[in-house]
Amino acid sequence: MPSRDLTRIPGARLVLHAAAALVVWGLLLWGTQALDPLMNYYLALVAMYATAMFGMTILVGLSGQVSLGNGALMAVGAYVFATVTLNWATVPFTGIAMNGWWAMGLAAVGGVVVGLVIGVLGARLRGPYLAGLTLGVAVGVPAIASRFPELLGGETGLQLTVPYPAGGYAAQEAVADETFVDELPTEQVIEDAPVDELPVDQLSVDQLPVDGAGADDLLTLDDFSSDDVLTLDDFSSEGDSGALTEQPVDELPVDQLTLDGAGADDLLTLDDFSSDDVLTLDDFSSEGDSGALDDVPVEGVPLDDVPLDELPVDASGALPDTGLDGGLDGGFLGLDPDFVLERWQAGLAVTVACLVGFLALNLVRGRSGRQWRAVRDDTVAAAVSGISPARSKVSAFVVSCLFAALAGAVFAQILAYVGPGAFGLGLSLSLLVGVVLGGRSSLLGAVIGAVLLVWLPEFVLRLAGDRGWEDQITNNAPNLIYGLLVVLVVLAAPGGLVGSLQGLVARVRRRP
Amino acid sequence: MRFVDYLLGGVGSGLIIALMALALVLTWRATRVVNFAQVGQAMFTTFIALSLQTLTGSWFIALVGAMIAGALLGTVVQFLVLRPVARADTSGAIIATFGVLIALQAAAGMIWGGDSQAYPQPFGNTAITLFGRDWPVSAYDLIVVGFAVVLVVGLTLLFTRTDLGLAMRATAFNPEVARLSGVRVGRTLTVGWALAGTVGAVAGVLVAPTSAISPNSFDILLVFAFTAAVIGGLDSLVGAVALGIGTGLVLSVVSGFSDSGNAPVVALVLLALNLLLKPEGIFGHHKARSV
Repeated sequence: MPSRDLTRIPGARLVLHAAAALVVWGLLLWGTQALDPLMNYYLALVAMYATAMFGMTILVGLSGQVSLGNGALMAVGAYVFATVTLNWATVPFTGIAMNGWWAMGLAAVGGVVVGLVIGVLGARLRGPYLAGLTLGVAVGVPAIASRFPELLGGETGLQLTVPYPAGGYAAQEAVADETFVDELPTEQVIEDAPVDELPVDQLSVDQLPVDGAGADDLLTLDDFSSDDVLTLDDFSSEGDSGALTEQPVDELPVDQLTLDGAGADDLLTLDDFSSDDVLTLDDFSSEGDSGALDDVPVEGVPLDDVPLDELPVDASGALPDTGLDGGLDGGFLGLDPDFVLERWQAGLAVTVACLVGFLALNLVRGRSGRQWRAVRDDTVAAAVSGISPARSKVSAFVVSCLFAALAGAVFAQILAYVGPGAFGLGLSLSLLVGVVLGGRSSLLGAVIGAVLLVWLPEFVLRLAGDRGWEDQITNNAPNLIYGLLVVLVVLAAPGGLVGSLQGLVARVRRRP
Repeated sequence: MRFVDYLLGGVGSGLIIALMALALVLTWRATRVVNFAQVGQAMFTTFIALSLQTLTGSWFIALVGAMIAGALLGTVVQFLVLRPVARADTSGAIIATFGVLIALQAAAGMIWGGDSQAYPQPFGNTAITLFGRDWPVSAYDLIVVGFAVVLVVGLTLLFTRTDLGLAMRATAFNPEVARLSGVRVGRTLTVGWALAGTVGAVAGVLVAPTSAISPNSFDILLVFAFTAAVIGGLDSLVGAVALGIGTGLVLSVVSGFSDSGNAPVVALVLLALNLLLKPEGIFGHHKARSV
């Protein structure tokens, strides 16, 4: 086959893999715009799980070491990410301002260090001993985290500020509530989002924690004619002076403005305005609403008479379809439909997953992959062939821990939270389940497993809604199915889904 | 004196860890598989015991019910899950036991709910007063000691004085030779798992009153028991009991002087040290390392 020959050219494989990763990355990023926020959120979770499970494929599948520690390694990555972003303003020794990418890099370093320690301890141990040691790690690491209430937030964990701010905290919470009810702290409400840490130029008004009711009141594009002029002066009055005078209104899409006060169901319509009308803050403010906006420290941006028709507004002025029904009254409304928090999460997770997938592909198909398989299949024969089994096993451990730590850092950003509850033994078991179901020694299997991990609970939830199951049944059904499937796969199809399909294809091909 | 108190306080929990470690060792000896689902089975049978207890009001009937259920569950798991796994696929066997653990926890959650439930204390939990001071030992602790001693003695007698015990030791030593000598290996293995299930069930019922019971509440016991079993050598019944008690004492002292939240970390450190320094365990002669 020509493609085989192609890979004999030095570097050709690298280029091929890079091209494949880039194409997948581009396609997925492009695809995020077509997905609604919920689907983007799921995509983010799938990519995050896949990132961790590429490491599981290498460790469990190729290197033959059953590990339960990778959930704990995700915790390591997540905690490093959280503490670094919360406590360090700059990257040590460099003076570079800390950002998400640097923090993820440091999380990766943390993962490698811990992976090295566990790998050296465990790499010479046979199956059950290693599984037991990593089981201890899976239980022990979250316990360590809860020992340090000051630095690591103790049992309650740490709240994070997600770098992407444009809307969606409430949305994120609502989505997350479905999936991680027991993992998320109840305190994660909008009020807690430290607004002053958000880059102001991306702030939308509806994200600001405004107390008081009228979250349903909305000003849409229809409410304005192109002649209406909204000036900064219009927004300031005594009570609210601290906030809006400094708010860069020119960057706020008007369709994102939500109004409190102003009567419960009143919707301002175009009819309410004549072209000469000027909208003033007095029209919006009611007592008691002043406190919130003051909290936003905004460097003054000169705002003179921004013509309304120059504001970026979406054509229809209609509310974006959130893809979520119910329970999301104010939170989602007014989001730019094309770029919500969930899309940013998906973009981040997909980027990391593609990067890690590219690395994994090279490792698996290269010399290290061959060595891992050789050691797994026959340690003595591999040693005789000049492969150091210990080094090979430790390297598999370190690589999988690196991937897990990166996945953990991504997970922390998806949840906007890090805590012992979210990274317990259950997470480690999920990773094992996913990689076994997808196909233990296939990277594609890892991706399929990741999809299964996210899709099945959702599917069961939907099924339960249709059939009217009790919560007790619904909440446990996914795990029951996982457990039974894992047993079945080990007994009947050790290669998982991918292995079975490959076997099927091979059988069909062999037939004349 | 506090140190002695903490030590004494650890005897009860140590014996429970010892029983669970004993169950792990029994399955290991029988099939060379560490049954990570052991605590899942124990949790499940303890829930059954709790149901029996509420139904009949008798702690003893509940215990017996749990023991029968434990034996059945062990048999079923070994027969349906572990026996069909290819013997070469060690990873597969480990993964399968985790699959059973996940399924059992989910099933228990479905049947009995995910919340922690209190298990009734059969005998007083008040400290025993003797020689004019309160000792950190309750009547319940004495019951635990009694059960543990009876079980250990019974198992020892079974292994050393009966034909079944001989067959089990022969099978553990070398299945092929045992088969050639007329031992029905398959049946012997299943009996080993049934025994382990029974011992685990007793451990579950004994530990339940000291902590609440929920589908996940025994996870930590698995870590402790595994630590004890591995340090004890994984092959040795004596080792499992001795190190189980030892682990209980260490954890009790550490928890007493610092905080019970440190216990998992201490167990992890103990396990890591052991695997680093003497991976075959104190009482064992089995190879934990390779090449």
